[in-house]
Amino acid sequence: MLTIKDLDVSIAGEDKPVIKGFSLEVKPGEVHAVMGPNGSGKSTLSYVLAGRDGYEVTGGTVTFMGQDLLEMEPEERAAAGIFLAMQYPVEIPGVANSYFLRQAVNALKKARGEPAMSAADFMKKLKAKAEEIGIRPEFLKRDVNAGFSGGEKKRNEILQLAMLEPRLCILDETDSGLDIDALRTVSDGVNALRTPDRAMIVITHYQRLLDYIVPDHVHVMADGKIRKSGGKELALELEEQGYEGLLGRAA
Amino acid sequence: MTAIARRPVSRHTAPVPAFAELFEHEQQHLPGSEAAALDAWRRTRFARFETTGLPTQRVEHWKYTNIAKVANVAMGLASRPEVKLDDVQRYFAGGPLARRLIFVNGHLATELSHVGGLPEGVVIKGLDVMLRDDPDRVLAALAEDRALDASGPHSFADLNAAFLQSGAWIEVADDIVLERPIQLLFLTVGEASAVMTHPHIIVKLGARAKAHLIESHVGVKDGHCLTNLVADYEVGAGARLDHDRLQLGAAGTTFIGLNRIRIGEKGELKQTVATLGGTLVRNETDMHLQGSFIEAQLNGVYMPIESEHVDNVIRVHHEQPDGHSDQFYKGLALDKAKAAFAGKIFVYKDAQRTNAFQTNNNLLLSDDAEIDSKPELEIYADDVKCSHGATCGELDPVALFYLRSRGLDRDEAESLLTYAFAAEVLERFTDPAVMKLAQERLIARTPGGANLTDML
Ligand SMILES: Nc1ncnc2c1ncn2[C@@H]1O[C@H](COP(=O)(O)OP(=O)(O)OP(=O)(O)O)[C@@H](O)[C@H]1O
Ligand SMILES: [Mg+2]
Repeated sequence: MLTIKDLDVSIAGEDKPVIKGFSLEVKPGEVHAVMGPNGSGKSTLSYVLAGRDGYEVTGGTVTFMGQDLLEMEPEERAAAGIFLAMQYPVEIPGVANSYFLRQAVNALKKARGEPAMSAADFMKKLKAKAEEIGIRPEFLKRDVNAGFSGGEKKRNEILQLAMLEPRLCILDETDSGLDIDALRTVSDGVNALRTPDRAMIVITHYQRLLDYIVPDHVHVMADGKIRKSGGKELALELEEQGYEGLLGRAA
Repeated sequence: MTAIARRPVSRHTAPVPAFAELFEHEQQHLPGSEAAALDAWRRTRFARFETTGLPTQRVEHWKYTNIAKVANVAMGLASRPEVKLDDVQRYFAGGPLARRLIFVNGHLATELSHVGGLPEGVVIKGLDVMLRDDPDRVLAALAEDRALDASGPHSFADLNAAFLQSGAWIEVADDIVLERPIQLLFLTVGEASAVMTHPHIIVKLGARAKAHLIESHVGVKDGHCLTNLVADYEVGAGARLDHDRLQLGAAGTTFIGLNRIRIGEKGELKQTVATLGGTLVRNETDMHLQGSFIEAQLNGVYMPIESEHVDNVIRVHHEQPDGHSDQFYKGLALDKAKAAFAGKIFVYKDAQRTNAFQTNNNLLLSDDAEIDSKPELEIYADDVKCSHGATCGELDPVALFYLRSRGLDRDEAESLLTYAFAAEVLERFTDPAVMKLAQERLIARTPGGANLTDML
C-alpha cells in the first residue's frame, strides 16, 4: 500500500537533512508503530507524507497505492485516502467544527466522484461517532480546536479520522496529552477502524498506547532513519532499555 | 528684493462656498429653528466649521484619508425618497419584539417605525421631534459636546451641529432593564445629485440601566451620499450597554461617524462593529472611562473590497482606576482597497490598576490592497497592564495545510479561512439577526464565497 524507499528530506531553505535514507513498506491491514527520540524526524516524516510545504525531498521515492505520492497536492493525498492526525492540531477560529467536517467529508466524496452526503445523514453519523469517541455535542458547534484542551484536540483529530475513513491513518503522538480514560476511548475508536484494507502508522513515545493498539511491526527511528525493526515485543524492550541501551551511544 | 512672508502651512482646507449657500437657505427650515438658543447654537457651529475648514491628511487623525476629496464638494440636503418595504424588512434585527426607528436618508420614517409600549422612564424618539418639542433639553445634552477636546474643534461634528435635523433620542432611566432590543435602521438611497445627511444619535442610560442597541447603516441604492453621523452614548454608573453596529454601505456612499462614549463607575459596554460596504467609511471613536471598575469591550471588523476605503480611529481614555478595556479589531483588504486602523490608549495619572488591551490583526488579500495599522499607548500611571499588538499578513499557511490535508482544495481552504478570519469578530455580535446579515455580506465579499453559503 505504501512504499517509502531511501527517502531523504531537508528543511526547505536550510540545507538541513532531517530524514536520511528512510525506507518502510506498509501493507493493507498492518499497523506499524514508529518510536524514536525527540527530534529524530518522526513528525517530519508524517508531514512529508501528508504533503505539507516547507520540506525538500532530496532523494528517494514514496509510492501510495501505485501512485507517486510526492507529486500530489495535500488534498489529492486526502482523496487518495491518507489522513494525518497531527501532533499539534491547528486551531481555526471562525469555523464551526461540524461545518468543517461536513465540508471535508463532501470534498472527499466529490474528489472520488461520489454523491455528497445529505445534511441530515451527516449529522446523524457525526453525532454517533462523537459519542463513541467521547466528544460532547457542544464541541461540534464550537470552532475547530479553538480553545480546546490538549486532550480535546486529540479526540477531535480522531473524530475527523472516524468521519473521513481513510485508507492510511498516520497518528502522530495522538496519545500524548490524553488522560487514561481518553486513551482507552481513543484507542477503541482507532481499533474500530482496523480493517483488512486499512493500514496505520502510529507514532508514539509510550508503550502504553501499544497495549491498546497492538502493532504488527515496531520501528525505532533515530537521526532520520529506522535503526531497528521488530514485532510488538520491541516496544517492551525499548521501555526497559531506553534508546541508548537499545541502539548504543550513537542514538 | 521683496521679502516673502512665511505663512504657516494650513492643515485644513477651506469649505467650498456651497456649504454657506446651503446653510443660509436651509437654516430657517431646520426643526426647532424658531428657538433662539438652538438657532444661535447652529450658527456658531457653522461659523466655526467655516473658519476651521475640512481636515487634510496633514491632520494627524486624518493621515490615512483624503476626506476633502469626497466631502468638500457641493451637496444638497438629502430628500426623503420612497423605499420598498422589502428593502426595509430584510434588515430588521433584534427579534419580533424589537423597538425600531427607521430613517431614510436621515429622515425619520414614522410610518415604518415602531416604538410602542414603552415602560415608564424610557424615551425613544426621533431627534427632530425632540428638537421641536424640547429644544432646551437637546441643547443641554449637546452642551456636553466633547468634540472640543485637546485636538481642537471637530469639523464634521460642527457641520453636523449646524445642519442638525434628525436622529434618535434614547433615554433609559435609572434601574430600568430594557429586555427588548432597540434598532436604529438607517437606509441610504442614492439620489440623482450629490446629497448629504447629518443624523445625531443620543443615548443616555441611567444608573444600573440596561439596554441593547442595534444600529444598522444600510445602502439600498448606489449614489453619491454623505452620511455625517455624530453619536453620543452615555452609560451610567453600573449600567450596561450592548451595542451592535452593522455598516453595509452601497457604492458611492461616504460614511463619517464620530462616536463619543462616556461610561460611569462600574459601567459596562460591549460594542461590535462590522464595516462591510461603502465607498468610504470613517469610524472615529472617543471612549472615556470616567469611573472606576469599568468593563469595556470594543470589537470590530472591516473588509473593504474593490476601491473602497475604511479608516478606523479609536481613542480610549482610562481616566479612573481599575478599569478594563479590550479592543479586538480585525481587517481584511481585497483588490485595490485600503484600510487603516489607528488606536490609542491613554491611561491617566489616577488610573492605577488599569488593564487595557488592543489587538489589530489584518489580512492583506491582494498585492494592490493596502492596510495601515498604528497602535499607540500613552501611560501616565505606574501600576497598569497594557498591551497592544498589530499584525498584517497573509492567510496562515499551517491552517491552509490543515484544511487541505482534510480534503478541501486550495480555493475552498482559502475561502474558508478568509471567511473565518472575519467571522471570529462577527460571532461577538449580541444579536443573532445582525450576525447573520453580517455573515451573508461577508460571504458575498469573500472570493469563492459561493461555496460557503450552506454554512449559515
Ligand atoms: N521547520 C523547521 N525548521 C527547522 N528545523 C526543523 C523544522 N521542522 C523540523 N525541524 C527539525 O528537524 C528535526 C526533526 O523534527 P521532528 O519534529 O520531525 O522530530 P520528532 O521526531 O517528531 O520529535 P518529537 O518526538 O519531539 O515530536 C528536529 O531537529 C527539528 O528541530
Ligand atoms: Mg513529533
